Amino acid sequence: MEGKKIDVLLVDDEAIVGNRLKPGLTKFGCQVEVFEDSKEALKRIGEKEFDIIVTDIMMADVNGLQLLEYAQKKSTRTKVIIITGYATESLAREAMAKGAFDMISKPFRPGDLREVIAKAAKALGLKDNTAA
Amino acid sequence: MMSSAELDSTKDHGATQLMKERKAMVETIDKQLAERPSFSFRLQLSLGFLLLFFLSMAIIIGSMSAIKRIQNKLHVFQTSEKFLFEVEQARRWEKNYFLYGTNLTDAAQSASNAKILLSRSLESHQKIYPEQAAQILDNLNKYRELLEELVVLDKRSGIDPTQKQLIESALRKHGSEMVEVAVSLTLKEQVSINALLNLIQQIPIYALVVYLLIMIYVAYFLSQRFMKRLNFLIDATQRIAKGDFSPIVPIRKYRDEFTTVSVAINWMLEELDARQKAMVESHKLKAIGNLTAGVAHELNNPINNIMLTAHSLLEDRKELSEEELVEMINDLINETERSRSIVRNLLDFARESESTSEPLDLGVLVGQTIKLTENQIKVSGAKIDVKNNEGKTPLEVAEMNGRDKTVKLLREEQLKEEQKKDSEI
Repeated sequence: MEGKKIDVLLVDDEAIVGNRLKPGLTKFGCQVEVFEDSKEALKRIGEKEFDIIVTDIMMADVNGLQLLEYAQKKSTRTKVIIITGYATESLAREAMAKGAFDMISKPFRPGDLREVIAKAAKALGLKDNTAA
Repeated sequence: MMSSAELDSTKDHGATQLMKERKAMVETIDKQLAERPSFSFRLQLSLGFLLLFFLSMAIIIGSMSAIKRIQNKLHVFQTSEKFLFEVEQARRWEKNYFLYGTNLTDAAQSASNAKILLSRSLESHQKIYPEQAAQILDNLNKYRELLEELVVLDKRSGIDPTQKQLIESALRKHGSEMVEVAVSLTLKEQVSINALLNLIQQIPIYALVVYLLIMIYVAYFLSQRFMKRLNFLIDATQRIAKGDFSPIVPIRKYRDEFTTVSVAINWMLEELDARQKAMVESHKLKAIGNLTAGVAHELNNPINNIMLTAHSLLEDRKELSEEELVEMINDLINETERSRSIVRNLLDFARESESTSEPLDLGVLVGQTIKLTENQIKVSGAKIDVKNNEGKTPLEVAEMNGRDKTVKLLREEQLKEEQKKDSEI
């Protein structure tokens, strides 16, 4: 049975992140939209409700936490996964308080991200097409 | 060529070595200071007072002995006066006898009184005026003999007038001689007594003058020595205040109370120096700590990129086109280069530079700092426009401190700018 594709929004100002992750995730059963500009991403969140949002924290203009807040305001259903280059306890607390689903610290393996996305999908009640 | 890590550890080792050497030097100096013979100010002051005391003692002893001499002389003088009185009495009685034939026994009595008096003061007279004393004694004895003769003759009635005259003239002669010598003696004694009295009167005045001079000299001399030592210490503290923590080295042959102060100051300097070094170290560590957080962020990005690219290569190597493969491999190389430059910048920044004061090119410094905190600056949205002046700005700042301050400055600006977007520094 083919499950609905998981709508994923991927935001990171490092181009390579989006380029490398998108093929993998697409194979995994996700519909991935990649944004390097967080402002654009913010606009997109306003247009579409995503199942999962994966976002870096440290970005110019709008940072990950702001995206998280906005996304949660838009829809509490959306699971937001935070990526960070320097994980601190205070950051983790803040992210969780704002409603983040999980936090991954760089550097990470694509597999790690897939695991978390799978968890989030499960929490959403979606079946993931584990293809990787 | 040593690696940077080796260089750093050598510098660390060098610093510890330097501290050990310093400590050893201070200990040697302390020993040197303590080994010198002690010539403390307490001692010097005591010597000064002792000098004055001995002077006083000399003056007092001198005065006392002078007074004693005067006492003796007065005593002798008095006895001499009494003696003269008796002799003159005798002569008066003698005259009476030759005029009226009476008072012969009185004369003899007075003469014997005189004899008694003379014997009392004879010793002291003989000491000072032996000749004259002998003369007086001689004359007195003769006088008395003649009187005795006269007494005996007088008892027998009928004295030969010529004999009587002989005796009379002899009596006169001895009598007057006696008086003459005795009077001259007495005068001499009087003169000597007056001289001594004058001396005693003058002594206090001279003594006072000498005292005054000695006290002025001692006070001046001592206070000079004292001030010299004090100034030496004051100069030392001034150079310490300027930051020169080298220990105080002994320059005099003797040690005194100030030596104790010098030794204490040297140990205090040791403490200060150690603490200052510790504080500098802790500041450095703090600065490095601050920087590490920022750089970790920076570094993790290229590392992550490498990770993701490598995984993609691994997973999709069969499906990827030649072009895509090459692109990914180039990405790997570029991201590695990126990491390398970040690390290099960090090392350049955090290297324990000997605080050389060289003219700092502010433009270069700002540029380096900006590169280090590139990502964070980008995130905060602050734009930094570096306008460089011609030539160098000579800033006498240790490079490390300079960078540190600049980073702090930029961070502060960042924080301010985080709310305000598109602002320019």
